[in-house]
Amino acid sequence: MTPTHFTISSAFLLGMMGLAFHRTHLLSALLCLEAMMLALFIALSLWSLQLDATGCSTAPMLMLAFSACEASAGLALLVATARTHGTDHMQALNLLQC
Amino acid sequence: MAHIMLTLLIGMVLGVISVASNPSPYFAALGLVLVAGVGCVVLMGHGGSFLSLVLFLIYLGGMLVVFAYCAALAAEPYPEAWGEWSVLGSVLGYLLLVVGAGSWFWGGWYEGMWVPVDELIEFSVVAADSGGVALMYSLGGGLLVVSAWVLLLTLLVVLELTRGLARGALRAV
Repeated sequence: MTPTHFTISSAFLLGMMGLAFHRTHLLSALLCLEAMMLALFIALSLWSLQLDATGCSTAPMLMLAFSACEASAGLALLVATARTHGTDHMQALNLLQC
Repeated sequence: MAHIMLTLLIGMVLGVISVASNPSPYFAALGLVLVAGVGCVVLMGHGGSFLSLVLFLIYLGGMLVVFAYCAALAAEPYPEAWGEWSVLGSVLGYLLLVVGAGSWFWGGWYEGMWVPVDELIEFSVVAADSGGVALMYSLGGGLLVVSAWVLLLTLLVVLELTRGLARGALRAV
């Protein structure tokens, strides 16, 4: 595995672990999701750049557009949570807890 | 050049560790800005200046600014930065994980692996990544229309989610 490969893979996996293990704020979980999207963008761009396959350059652009959609939907959910529960702490989302 | 690329790649991993180690969202957003900036320079080092510019504009200037405004919702009296023991423990744990995984691979890393080979096959007028993105408007026009539709749909979803009062997910607090 080349060093660049290793870096973007570990960036993605670290973001995923941060998303899975986040304990306090919903916003920090969303930021880890954004870090995963960033690692994916850099991976797709490096793919097209290193293979000299210029046709693959559209993939990171479209991925950025869709990740902007996802970020805005996540932030709307955050605003809804903060307005309903008063805070964005993950422990406040306990309506389904037995 | 290889030294520069080494520094940038290490900076990227450290930035993602600073986001994933559960600090207060203000500092996590700062770490994400660092990762995006360093990632842009990595892309530039491989010759993709247009994609790096797009990342800076859209990601940092569009999405992260909105995240920074929403960080006001996560306000707390004592925000935890990376000096706090709980966050520092996570940072050290992730660092150990990355170094451990890297030690599997770095036996086979040699001098030339850090930078791409500059292939000047022909001197062309159009840069590689800009020319590729231009394909999105010609051959990829259908997907462009689909993504415009998706963006409109997302706008309607967000407006519906934050409508409030009687319907929707918000309660009039």
